[in-house]
Amino acid sequence: MTMLRIDRRLLENVDWPLLAAAGALVLTSAVTLANLNVGRAGGAAARQLAWFGVGFVALVVVASIDYRRLVRAAPAFYLLGLAGLGAVFVLGRTVSGARRWIVWGPLSVQPSELFKIAFVLMAVWVITSRWAQPVGRTTVALTLPIVAVPALLIVKQPDLGTALMLFPVLVILLIGAGVRLRLLGGLALAGVAAAPLAWLVLRDYQRERILVFLDPLRDPLGSAYNVIQAKIAIGSGQLLGKGVAGATQSRLAFLPERHTDFIFAVFAETWGFVGCLVLLVCYVLLLLRGFDIAASAREPVGRLVALGATSLLATQVLINVGMVIGLLPVVGIPLPLMSYGGSAMLASLMALGLLLSVRMRQFQ
Amino acid sequence: MRARRERPLSALSGRRPGPPRRDQGQRRVVAIAGVVMAAFLVLVGQLWYLQVLEGGRFLDASDKNRIRVRPIAAPRGILFDRRGVPLVDNRPAFTLSLIPRELPREPVSRDAVLGRVASLLGLPFQELLDAVARVQPESLFPVRVRRGLTLEDVAKIEEWKLELPGVIAEVEPQRVYPASRFAAHLLGYVREASEEQLRSGRYRRGDIVGQSGLERLLDQYLRGKDGGERIEVDAMGRPVRLVQQTEPRAGAQVVTTVDRRIQEAAERAMDGRAGAVVVMDPRNGDVLAMVSTPAFEIDRFTGTIDRAAWLRIVQDPSFPLLNRAVQSQYAPGSVFKIVVAAAGLQEGTLTPADRVNCTGEFRLGNMTFRNWREDGGSVDLYRAIAESCNIFFYQAGLRIGGATMARYARAFGFGAPTGIDLGGEKPGLVPQPRRGRRNPWPAGETVNMSIGQGALLVTPMQVARFMSAVANGGVLWRPRLVQRVERPGQGVVWSDAGEVNGHVALAPVVWAFLRQALWGVVNDGGTGGGARIPGLDVAGKTGTAQTVAKSKASLGQDHAWFAGFAPGKDPEVVVVVLVERGGTGGQVAAPIARKILNAIFLERVARAGFPG
Repeated sequence: MTMLRIDRRLLENVDWPLLAAAGALVLTSAVTLANLNVGRAGGAAARQLAWFGVGFVALVVVASIDYRRLVRAAPAFYLLGLAGLGAVFVLGRTVSGARRWIVWGPLSVQPSELFKIAFVLMAVWVITSRWAQPVGRTTVALTLPIVAVPALLIVKQPDLGTALMLFPVLVILLIGAGVRLRLLGGLALAGVAAAPLAWLVLRDYQRERILVFLDPLRDPLGSAYNVIQAKIAIGSGQLLGKGVAGATQSRLAFLPERHTDFIFAVFAETWGFVGCLVLLVCYVLLLLRGFDIAASAREPVGRLVALGATSLLATQVLINVGMVIGLLPVVGIPLPLMSYGGSAMLASLMALGLLLSVRMRQFQ
Repeated sequence: MRARRERPLSALSGRRPGPPRRDQGQRRVVAIAGVVMAAFLVLVGQLWYLQVLEGGRFLDASDKNRIRVRPIAAPRGILFDRRGVPLVDNRPAFTLSLIPRELPREPVSRDAVLGRVASLLGLPFQELLDAVARVQPESLFPVRVRRGLTLEDVAKIEEWKLELPGVIAEVEPQRVYPASRFAAHLLGYVREASEEQLRSGRYRRGDIVGQSGLERLLDQYLRGKDGGERIEVDAMGRPVRLVQQTEPRAGAQVVTTVDRRIQEAAERAMDGRAGAVVVMDPRNGDVLAMVSTPAFEIDRFTGTIDRAAWLRIVQDPSFPLLNRAVQSQYAPGSVFKIVVAAAGLQEGTLTPADRVNCTGEFRLGNMTFRNWREDGGSVDLYRAIAESCNIFFYQAGLRIGGATMARYARAFGFGAPTGIDLGGEKPGLVPQPRRGRRNPWPAGETVNMSIGQGALLVTPMQVARFMSAVANGGVLWRPRLVQRVERPGQGVVWSDAGEVNGHVALAPVVWAFLRQALWGVVNDGGTGGGARIPGLDVAGKTGTAQTVAKSKASLGQDHAWFAGFAPGKDPEVVVVVLVERGGTGGQVAAPIARKILNAIFLERVARAGFPG
């Protein structure tokens, strides 16, 4: 357990503003969940805080380990993660048509959430590996299988959002590693060309969601219901919000998934445009700290780990809020630190742990 | 290019000292951060658009989401008889209603909802489309599409209610009658507002409106004002909280002059024959009963009546919608002889002592007028009335003259509407002198008029008013159907104190003689013996109005009249019975009058029959 020994020098470099922003977001989440009164005896807020406790321990553990050792062990985490994704097909519990959870006693774990962290570490391991040098076509080629295999597994679960998220995170890592933008642009074009093929792979409900995004009135009582109700909730919040009691869209359950993927709509209805600004500023602060850690890292592994963790959070925030406010199609991606869900909370806090780990060892 | 490609590891290294100079890796991180921040600005822009620019619209949409409007239909006012017994009542019934504001706004999804309703309840889709096409899309008022839903229909709507926004099974009070054909013409039927009534602007589509009888006359009072509730519901449509409630205001209560027992007795007494009965209080003109047969099934109209059923009633050859008591005109027949006798006695052209040999026929020039029997013997005025001797009245009529008879007929209220509060009343007809002719009153017409035939036409209601005047000594009351209209909490909002609209001035001895003669018709071997009730002095006059035979089967089937009052001294009721093509007044109409009088005076007759 020497790994866990934390010396004074490390503690001095803890990024307190980062933790403060994260703490504020978790608190906001708990308050929002408490007002929603969902779940068993309205215990969602308490469970969320409990998960925060568990996640915070994970954060401390991750932060206290040298990230370079974590990256070195990345293949093992990655394979474990793949095994978890595979296990879902055998042990998984089906919730609303998707097998994403493994139930273990009173807990249900969503392997795809935790896999994101393993994925970031694995991507960094591959990019910085001997075989990937010099950074260029070879690097890109080597990273493709590590994104393709899990993406396929996750799509089959089906969890389109998480699968799609892996790509921007990988692209950001490759950009950060110095891959020429022209090369990535070419890949992007190839991706667009392959999009019709992807359409064939998609399930009917996933296609429907994309069509609904393009035309929300396609099926107002079916797939478009979420989008319409979320827009009504957010818009009706107006400048200052309707307050807890007045937030009828959320309180009277017109908003589906209001404690998980659509929690931002609840917040927006309750606190209005001004509240949304404050919340987004919290995320911006958190992410800017992450980018600062990446920028000020002194060696490539630390920089890429920090960049990967930050982009993981940034991508989720942007896609989630974007979909809730109607800018993107509805894909199942939680809002980090806000949405109710233990696995996601754990994954987000572990990402923050990675950031702290890099920060604390920045001056070694 | 090549050099840059080999550089990346150094770019990643970041080990280059000196903070001011950023290496490529740092620049890229900063650029990525910039792109992410730009994306956040896009989010803020969209939030500004949704919450600040379009916020009001979405606030409205969220209210529309959570607030459900549930109408509470006001019960229509109740009509009571003179003793406070209801003539018509309400019972709760289910109505399919659409709330326009709660229906989906987009035509495609709205049609999907209407289509589902149509298939669930087996209704024509077009009917639902038409119903919503004519109302404001944001209207909160229910459009009542179909009445009389079965419990199964209601269950289906409730079961599918989440898929049927804006569709409700509403509880709406509906008319219920003591019997299917009870007082149909008096009460009148209610029905959904017609296109014409909708154009008047006073009604909304699907409103129940009184279409005939008292329901139409008093519609503005009988109609209540619907109330409603605004309920906050959750996404499952479960009510959470009552936001606002407006109590419905029931329609006003109407106290009529009708006596339900007498009305029912009169309907029973007609026993399927076509005709009319009017029972009137001669002391004030109150209509105690008014029957017209055949009657229509008044309860068929309360729900949504389909076109075929409606046409069946309208096209029925026996005209069940016609109120024969006020809308049909008949020759009065011998009932008119009372007018002739009154005119003659008052004018001095006739005396009770005049005698005529009542033979089989009467010749005037080349015309022959027949009597209804051959062997009447010598009769005076009293016996001529009692036995209804035509020959006597032919001669009397010629002596009195057509103009005088017409003047007395008008004085007794014939030839003009009675002014009863029912639509479509016919005025009857009293012959006018022929203008520009040397002889304005041809003798033949005068002879015909003297026995109530010819051009003369009266309604049963006119006969009742006339007979009331005979019974009360000459006062012509406007027939009164409604005493007052009361609104709960407001008291009397409309009342009818009764009105005298004519007076016939005859010498008291003339009145006395006429009443004596009418008593004789029933009780002294006259034609009205069928109306005789031991213990009760019934007075009256029979009449048999000849009709033009339309076919061989109806040949000789004359309209049978009986008009009388009781008790003979201080009369309390006037009964007029008309049976269309029923036969003679004495054989057909008088017994019906007896049954009605029997029912009215049941207690008194029983006491007289069993003294002590």
